Amino acid sequence: MKLKQIFTLWVFVLSIFSSLTLNADNSKVPFGIRHYDIGSAQNFILNDIDGEKFELNDYKGRWVFLHFWASWCGPCREEMPAIQKLADEMKGEKFQIIMINTAEDEDTVFEFLGSINVDLNSLLDVDGQVTEVWKPRGLPTSFLINPDGHVKYQAIGGREWGNPVYINFLKKLLQADVK
Amino acid sequence: MLKIITLMLVALNIQAAQPVIIKTPELEIDFTPRTANQMGSFYEARGFPKAMRDVLKQQCFITVGIHNTSNKKIWLDMSNWKFTAGGKPIKREHRDYWKQRWQNMGVPLSKQSTFRWTLIPETLDYLPGEHEGGNILLPFSDKPIGITATFATGDNKQGKKIVITTDKLLCAEDEE
Repeated sequence: MKLKQIFTLWVFVLSIFSSLTLNADNSKVPFGIRHYDIGSAQNFILNDIDGEKFELNDYKGRWVFLHFWASWCGPCREEMPAIQKLADEMKGEKFQIIMINTAEDEDTVFEFLGSINVDLNSLLDVDGQVTEVWKPRGLPTSFLINPDGHVKYQAIGGREWGNPVYINFLKKLLQADVK
Repeated sequence: MLKIITLMLVALNIQAAQPVIIKTPELEIDFTPRTANQMGSFYEARGFPKAMRDVLKQQCFITVGIHNTSNKKIWLDMSNWKFTAGGKPIKREHRDYWKQRWQNMGVPLSKQSTFRWTLIPETLDYLPGEHEGGNILLPFSDKPIGITATFATGDNKQGKKIVITTDKLLCAEDEE
């Protein structure tokens, strides 16, 4: 009987410990970012606003921040300065920001990016078909792809990417990868 | 006299297409009717073909925002939403219907894609704190629109269902 009680207590202690561990792991992911382990990132080839060809697979070996947006989407517009700040903070790191404009023409994107005073380039998914394949939850949506080319996280809606909470999270991902 | 004018204004206000906001302990949902001109301008500015805009102008547009204010997952599934006009059931077309219709009309892929992005998703799991939405298109009616929306909750959809209802919506019309 006593042995059974000790065993029950031990199971109880173990369950509390494991739940604490899980919570600690979850707390590392800032609000608005979810684990999204869907395997290999779908490759694509698109042109940027300068007409340069871009292929996702060329960026294996670094974390990729893949961001879907459109100029008509309010939260996308609001989020742009935060993405600029993120780009500034992560300069020099093995981290690549890739923005994909969904189904707008070159003139619209060029004019919009010029009007909001950001130094960001964007790929043009002119017919929206790459976006269809990636199926973001909504616009804007960002995916985080690890250096092996696997999708690991998804960010929901516009986020304050320049906030230290997000910057630290991303820098920790990079550090963890180096170790 | 003032009382009569006030009463008339109140009566007019009841007939106008006003946003409806519903709050439950788990979620907030807002419905905002849009006029044909509002939607037409949006789509025209994005270069939508006239034939497409003409079809859209015939619809009753309601923009829906859903905010999960609970600490558990809430599931949107549009097949669990029921619509009425003047108390009689009406059908909301699935996004696949629109896709087919635009394809038949030869609408460019880019416009089809943008249109889809303006629609509410057919299904979506709302994480705690998440706020997403989109447009619902219904057949235009001058009668009050009723909506009954049922949401599953919890990771495995086994939690208590949330049901919200409204019969206070009107399709928005442009002033003559």
